[in-house]
Amino acid sequence: MNDGKLAAFGLDKRGAILVALLLAAILAIPLGVRSDFVFHIFITICLYGALSTAWNIVGGFAGQLSLGHAIFYGLGAYTAGLLVPYGISPWFGMFAGAALSAVVAVLISVPCFRLRGPFFALATIAFLEVVFQLALHFKGITGGAVGLMVPLQIGWEWMIFREREPSLLIAFGLLLLTLLVAGWIRHSRFGYYLIATREREPAAQAAGIDSLKVRLWAVAISAALTSMVGTFHGMYLTFIEPEAMFSLTLSIQIAMFALIGGIGTVLGPLLGTLLVVPLTELARGWLGASAIGLHGFIYGTVLVLIVLFMPDGLVGFFTRKTHPRPDEAAAQPGALQASAGALVHDPAEPEEARTIGEPILVAEKLNKAFGGLRVAQDLDLTVQQGEVLGIIGPNGAGKTTLFNMLSGFLPPDSGVVRVRDRNGQWVTPGSPHEFARIGVGRTFQIVQPFAAMTVLENIMVGAFHHHAGRKEAREKALEVAERMGLWAQRDMEARNLTIGGQKRLEVARVMATEPRILLLDEVMAGLNQTDIRQAITLIEKIRDAGVTVIAIEHVMQAIMALSDRVVVLNSARLLANGKPEDVVRDPAVIEAYLGEEFVHAAA
Amino acid sequence: MTVFWQLVLNGLMLGGLFAIISVGLTLIFGIIRLVNFAHGELLMVGMYATFLLTTQLGVHPYALAPPVVLLLFVVGVLIQRFILQPLLEARDHHVQIFATVGLSTALINLALLLFGADIHSTPAYGARTALSFGPFRILTGHVVMFVAGILVVGGLHLFLQRTYLGRAIRATAQHRHAAQLMGIDINRIYIITFGIGAACVGLAATLVAPMYPVSPTVGTYFVLTAFVVVVLGGMGSLHGAFIGALIIGLVDSLSGYYIAPDLKEVVIFAIFLLILLVRPTGLFGLGRGSE
Repeated sequence: MNDGKLAAFGLDKRGAILVALLLAAILAIPLGVRSDFVFHIFITICLYGALSTAWNIVGGFAGQLSLGHAIFYGLGAYTAGLLVPYGISPWFGMFAGAALSAVVAVLISVPCFRLRGPFFALATIAFLEVVFQLALHFKGITGGAVGLMVPLQIGWEWMIFREREPSLLIAFGLLLLTLLVAGWIRHSRFGYYLIATREREPAAQAAGIDSLKVRLWAVAISAALTSMVGTFHGMYLTFIEPEAMFSLTLSIQIAMFALIGGIGTVLGPLLGTLLVVPLTELARGWLGASAIGLHGFIYGTVLVLIVLFMPDGLVGFFTRKTHPRPDEAAAQPGALQASAGALVHDPAEPEEARTIGEPILVAEKLNKAFGGLRVAQDLDLTVQQGEVLGIIGPNGAGKTTLFNMLSGFLPPDSGVVRVRDRNGQWVTPGSPHEFARIGVGRTFQIVQPFAAMTVLENIMVGAFHHHAGRKEAREKALEVAERMGLWAQRDMEARNLTIGGQKRLEVARVMATEPRILLLDEVMAGLNQTDIRQAITLIEKIRDAGVTVIAIEHVMQAIMALSDRVVVLNSARLLANGKPEDVVRDPAVIEAYLGEEFVHAAA
Repeated sequence: MTVFWQLVLNGLMLGGLFAIISVGLTLIFGIIRLVNFAHGELLMVGMYATFLLTTQLGVHPYALAPPVVLLLFVVGVLIQRFILQPLLEARDHHVQIFATVGLSTALINLALLLFGADIHSTPAYGARTALSFGPFRILTGHVVMFVAGILVVGGLHLFLQRTYLGRAIRATAQHRHAAQLMGIDINRIYIITFGIGAACVGLAATLVAPMYPVSPTVGTYFVLTAFVVVVLGGMGSLHGAFIGALIIGLVDSLSGYYIAPDLKEVVIFAIFLLILLVRPTGLFGLGRGSE
């Protein structure tokens, strides 16, 4: 593999060599030792490693802790096992089972993805129990509690062998397959989208990610891979029963291995398996077969210890201890010199630049109530292309609610938001990611960084919107980082930024999506004078590049300096609309902000 | 018709059993905001303790309630102090889930190592004797559980509403940090709460032991139903758990007879999924189900 291909899996040369050595050892040791016991251990390692790696795509990358993955494992085994008596090879059954599992996984997950944390885990357990009980009940198909023997036809075609080597090769192949898929996902746009969705779903949607869709893809891929491993394991055991196939214990184990090794990392699940499986097998050999329960006791204890003392698993523990993050970005400053001059490059459309033009966003008669509290009453708003519109109003006036309706996060009770797309057509997007895709970008008043990602990776999530490739997205993100004054912090984890830095990151991430309309929700709150002046300059440059800006702001200095027009909201209604200098002299506005007495005092 | 009413009676009695097992689970969730996946294993520990003490000392299992309750209280305190408290401020849900999942796995398998996979029956001392009311029959032990279930739920309710400690516990549940600012030692509150939750399971264990044989996986069997009960009643709600337990008891009893004995769990879990997806706050929930 050349360096470019390695980079696609997030590996440098040294890492690639280590991984290759590790995998070679998994294959070479049993082939060298040639004892049944060692074959058994390494086949087990490959199988659990593959199951755990597949689980990690949903449990780790997407952050949905499924404890029902045995459903797909069992479906794989049963689909293939039931086809064999009809003379259909398990190699075909493997893919049939994978397709079935992917469909079942999507059907189960559509409703379950609304649940979070322990509740999602409970729902998956419940689904597993239902499948298990049904499998017991329909004896005619599954063999019920007695189980099914797979017809003993020997040979590659039937995936059943007298010797151990072919089984090891297939198990190893499955491990390799899941690792490649997981590695590719983790370092592709898809993987960034999954992790962004896991970390902050609203921010991910604002970056144009269809969060339900990416999660469903993840669960479908994970289920299909799990199912393929199940098919092989069923053939390896030549015996299939509901108890072993739809087992809660198995579901928990594969999740455990991932957590022990490092949840959400590519190699973690395999490393967890490599630590725990040999440990328990050796202990069992040492204490004798009478010690039933020993392996489970070790699994459980190791899991508790890992959770307590190295919550990021083995991978997190070692990467933190041995080598700090390699600063690969520093190696290519040349690419940046070129773009450093232009503060905002990529004006959305050249003909859109400069002058204030046609309407680009229109809100008509927006109404919204939370119970008895009306937060928007007949709000009408027209935003012209290229203008900077300031929105001010006292706390609780409904400014952020208006933003949420203008970006799809809150459907209005009545009324409509229309946006002119790049081709001049008026459309009404239906969800946050559709708003983002049409070019409406927003920041959040309470910053929403993807905490587990670096600053650069945060910006890349936005950049992927127009740049599907990792390399192009990375270049775009580096350029935005430089413009936004985040160059020095680009490899820091986002959660460690100062509040000013996190505010800049909010803007950087949305700018990386190259929006045509930018909604800024109090980006200057809490900043000091120097930062405010910088922010004003920055917004001017964004405006000059042709981006329409709508800004909620309490910093009057910024509103006065930037806005072409100011809209005042008060108690869910539009109070005033006009040039900044006119609006601030409007007695109604002064009253809303400062109280009636102030108006009299001024008069 | 007699069959129907007998099934209803059975269902209510079964509900008493589910209630007394679920009460600790819902208390721990309501106060600590923790879904304790090891709850069933606490029951298992209590049942083995009851079994051993009864057979070794020849004492009535009900008489063992004080020592077993105390034992489980101490076990609960240790778990909260040394396993869960360090994870209180953890960034992700998953560490807390996995801490209790790991504990559950370790305890089940420890029991396997110590006692083997066989089931052990605790002497019943009359708890399995049937009482007759006209055409209807109930087991003495079930009546005891039902009454104990009502007493435990009522007692906990009074404790939380009327005592200073109870108020401190509720304050901590409502806002951890605000409670701290009011001078409440929240770590101590959590330890006591987990202890009480575990102690409730201890009481349940002494009542369940004479009725059902104990095995390493007995906890898994009961706890899955307890989760259904608690989610149905509303996670964290004590009276919700009681009513949820009665409903599930009835569903169990009636669907076992009218649908198929081996499909009653499918019915129960279907209800569970329906509640989780349609109304995750349950019947009397705290409104935090989807978090």
